[in-house]
Parts: sequence; C-alpha cells; structure tokens
Amino acid sequence: MTRQEIFNRLKGILVLTDDSSRQGIDDLEESASLMTDLGFSSVTMLYMVIAIEEEFGIRFDDNIGAADFETLGDVISYIEKKLA
Amino acid sequence: MKFDTRELFRKYCDGETFDRIVEMDSVSEMWQRCVSEYGGRIAVSDGGAEHTYSELENDAAGFRTLVGAGEPKRVGILSANSYDFVKAYIGTVTSGNCAVTIPAHLDAATVFGCCMMFDIRVLVYQPDLADKLEIVKLKRPDIKLIPADSLCGEKTGIVACGPQTPCSIVFTGGTTGRSKGALLSNGAVMQGTVNGCYGYPDVFFQRYLLVLPLTHVFGLIRNLLTSLYTGSALFICRNNKDMFRDIAVFRPTIMVMVPALAEMALTLSKKFGRNMLGDDLKCIICGAAMVSPFLIREYDKIGVKLLEGYGLTETANLVSGNPESLSKPESVGIPYPNQEFRITGQGELLIRGKNLMDGYVGVPEDGVYDDDGFFKTGDLVRLDDEGFLYITGRIKEIIVLPSGENVSPAEVETYFNAPEFIQDSQVFEDETEDGQRILALEVVPRATELLDMEPAARAGYIKEELEKINRTLPSFWRVSRITVRDSDFERTPAMKIKRYKKF
Repeated sequence: MTRQEIFNRLKGILVLTDDSSRQGIDDLEESASLMTDLGFSSVTMLYMVIAIEEEFGIRFDDNIGAADFETLGDVISYIEKKLA
Repeated sequence: MKFDTRELFRKYCDGETFDRIVEMDSVSEMWQRCVSEYGGRIAVSDGGAEHTYSELENDAAGFRTLVGAGEPKRVGILSANSYDFVKAYIGTVTSGNCAVTIPAHLDAATVFGCCMMFDIRVLVYQPDLADKLEIVKLKRPDIKLIPADSLCGEKTGIVACGPQTPCSIVFTGGTTGRSKGALLSNGAVMQGTVNGCYGYPDVFFQRYLLVLPLTHVFGLIRNLLTSLYTGSALFICRNNKDMFRDIAVFRPTIMVMVPALAEMALTLSKKFGRNMLGDDLKCIICGAAMVSPFLIREYDKIGVKLLEGYGLTETANLVSGNPESLSKPESVGIPYPNQEFRITGQGELLIRGKNLMDGYVGVPEDGVYDDDGFFKTGDLVRLDDEGFLYITGRIKEIIVLPSGENVSPAEVETYFNAPEFIQDSQVFEDETEDGQRILALEVVPRATELLDMEPAARAGYIKEELEKINRTLPSFWRVSRITVRDSDFERTPAMKIKRYKKF
C-alpha cells in the first residue's frame, strides 16, 4: 500500500470524527498537527487508534501514546511500518 | 424538598428484583452478603484470570492483615485499574480503614503531596509505579509501603463498620478550582452504590466492562461497587484501545461510560457496519457530562437503552437517574432516595442527605455549604411537574470535557505560566468551526523577556515552547489551540482575569 493510499484511507477515518464532515478534509496535509490543527482530544485519539486497527488490520503497541504522534505524517509512517 | 423516591423506581423491574435492592450501612455489610450469597460466582476478570467472590475475599482477607485492622487510618492506593486495585480497595475499606484512591498518572511530587495532605499512613502501590514513591521513601520513611500484588497467608476477618465510618477519599476538582479530596463515609458510599441499582429491569447478575478509572467516583461506585453489590462480574479493560476486542470476548450486558466514549462507539459502529459494543449489551449508563438526546435515540435504534444520570464526587456519585431517557431525553432523571434539595433563587441546586460527603480533606471548605449544611453544587437546575430533574447550566469554573474528564483551568495554567516570557494565561473551553469542543489557551507575553528577539518571530517561538509544555501534560489537560495575545486580558476590579464562559 502506498503512502498516499494510507493517507486517503486515514482521511476516511478522520472525516467521521465529528457529526458533520470536517471542513477541508481533502486538503489536509501530512504536516497537520493532531492537536493544534485538528483539535484532537484524548477520545478522538482513541477513536483514531481503534479505527486504524480495524481499517488496516494492524495492532498498535500497548505503550504507544498520543505524545508519539505530533502530525498526520507521523501516524502514516507508523502504519507504513506496521504494514511492512 | 425531601425525597423519598424509592417506590417511584419499583415499576421499572419485577417485585423480586426490587425487593433485593436493600439499603446498607457499610461496605463491610455489603461485602459480607456478597461473599455468603455469591461466593462461587465470578466477581472480577482481569488479564485472563477470573476471580470468584470467595477468592476475592480470601485475597482481601490477607490484605486486611497487611494494612492492619486495628486503629482506623488512611490507606493510599496508587494503581491503575486491575484486580490488585479491587483487592486492595475491598481489603482496606472492610478493615475499617479509609481508602485514598490516587490517580496513577500523578508524578512523584504529587504522590508525596497526597500523602501529606491526606495523612496517609499506608501506601499500596502497583509495582511498576514504584518510581513515583521516591520522594515518599526519602521524606516519609514511616509510611508503610505495600506492593499491590502482595499476598498474605495470615487472614483477618471483615470488620464491622457504621455508616459514619470514613470509607473513601476521592479526588475531585470541586466547585472552586483546585483539586482536592472528598471524604465519603461508608453510609454515603453505600447510598451511592444502592442508587446505581434503581431503574433497570435486570440489575443483578450482569456482566460489566470497566473502562472508567477506579479513581473516579463514577468508576469506583457505579461500576465497581454496584457490580459487586448485584453479584455481577466485572471485566477489567486494561487498555481502552483494546475495549472492542475485550467486548467481543466478555460480551458485557451493561457498560458505564462517559458520553464521549458512547459517541465514539457509535461512530465506529457506523464506520464498520456492525454493533461494536456487542449483541449482548442491554444498557449503557452514561454520566459525568451532558448526554445528547441524539445518542439516546441512536442507541435505541440498535436495542440498547442509554440511561443518563447526574452526580458529583461530593454526593458519592449518583444524585438522580433517568429510567425514562427515551421520553425525557433532556432530563437527568428522578432524584434518588434519602436526599433533600434546595433550589436557590438563582437556580443553583443545594443538596443534603445520606449520600453527601463529610467534607473536603486538606483544603478549606469555606462557602461550600449553606447555613443548614446543604452542599452548593454550582449547577443550575429545574424540576418538572413529574419530579424529573434538568440541568440548565453550570456556574462553576470547572470545565467538564465531552469525555467527562474534569479540568481545573487554574491548575493547567500553572504549567503554561512557568516560562518567564509568559505574563498570564487562560485555559478555557472553546468551539472549533465545525462545532467540536476543545480546550484552548490564550497567553499574554511578558515583553521585557523578549526584547532580544525579532518581533515577527516572537509568536512562533512562544507557541513552539508552549507546545513542548503541552505535550508533557496528561492528555485531557492538553490544549488544542494556542493564541498569543497582543493585549492583556479583561480584568475585574480586583485585577483578576475575567474568565471566558463560552458555554
């Protein structure tokens, strides 16, 4: 799976993080900060982790926390590594 | 208004079930009944091991010996959710001691501060949190330290306690800002435990999944103690990211959740086209933050009752519960028995009753009670003609996040005020363009400390430095937006910052 394909599927997860679709989800870039650009809370982070595990069939390490991912790019890299 | 509402709940279950719900004076009394009536049933399942009520009592009896059942004292429990936590808690409170449940995320200095503030004499700790005891060991070598996984062959029997015997000290943000401990008697804890039984068709012999921290009153009383009271089995989810895998294995029938988690489960169910909470789930108990009627209706569509309740740490959790959530989704329900309400002219709810705390520990209590001993909740309420309670607003400063976590803004601000180039800061709840509630931070720089920096570069530098601090905070304290102001905050005549109140 290419990095771009992972990113597209990740956008499909993120678009559901609110009742209404996020504005400009298609325009997101890998450099977007989860906290300050996307306004992630601890629950959003939990949602993303669980959804990624379901979507990609991978398991996050137990000791992985929100502080390990500053940007969307960090998340994509982690998925890439797990799929390798 | 005095409430004797027990009979109002009778119609929500059969007579036999209702008559099993009896009030008790102490956790010891409850636990004695649990052991004699439910002995061979599974009480707790954790990490692949199942423990019956008899086995839990056997381990708790050893713990009573370890903590000592003589002179009553305060016993700190520093542990994440686990069977060892449950064992230590039951062992502590059924030996006549008072359990101080300490959140596992606190650092060594704060753990030491808790020991001092709450006069802890014995500290039970999860072995892999031992590094948080360094200061305690150094400065208070007299405090007895007990690893939570300890077993003791010498057993001590259950000690009888009265309703006034101190039972638990539970952390709360309170109504005035600073974190503190609410002292709950055995009578208060048991009233809260029994309240959790009212309003369901099936409350005994259920399967509960535990996802809330046991250091939170909602997790401790509604999730753990009501589960034990009803002979139910409690499955401990060690890591919330594994919640849905655990659900598939354990097939819970009741879950106690904050609205944000219930919302998340719904979103995931829609995304992946199946009920992620499992087909056995009958009921979700939701509290600690406002529940949207949307959630109640959506869960009803998949056959799950989502029942909202209202409570405070200071009232041993539940004040009211709503068995009619579908027809009255905006209400937090019927007040539970043995309480008195006063509603002030301003609409603030004041409460007195068996479930009320015996005060805060370690901090002044000025102004939290009225002259007649009613506790000022800080919540604005109304009652309808049928006696259902509605929360119409909050006058307290504490921010309750959608996840149910309480945040004391002043406490978080101390971290952002630490750099010398910050003059003042304000943490508040705000809304993004798409309606999502977030924590936001505004800061006023101290210009004198930034003179040697290009003006255009200052804001970027400040944000970068504050981001570093942000990442070190517990996740629910982190802010999602940082704004560097070019002017001071609006202030009161006493020069205090006027706090934003956007919701």
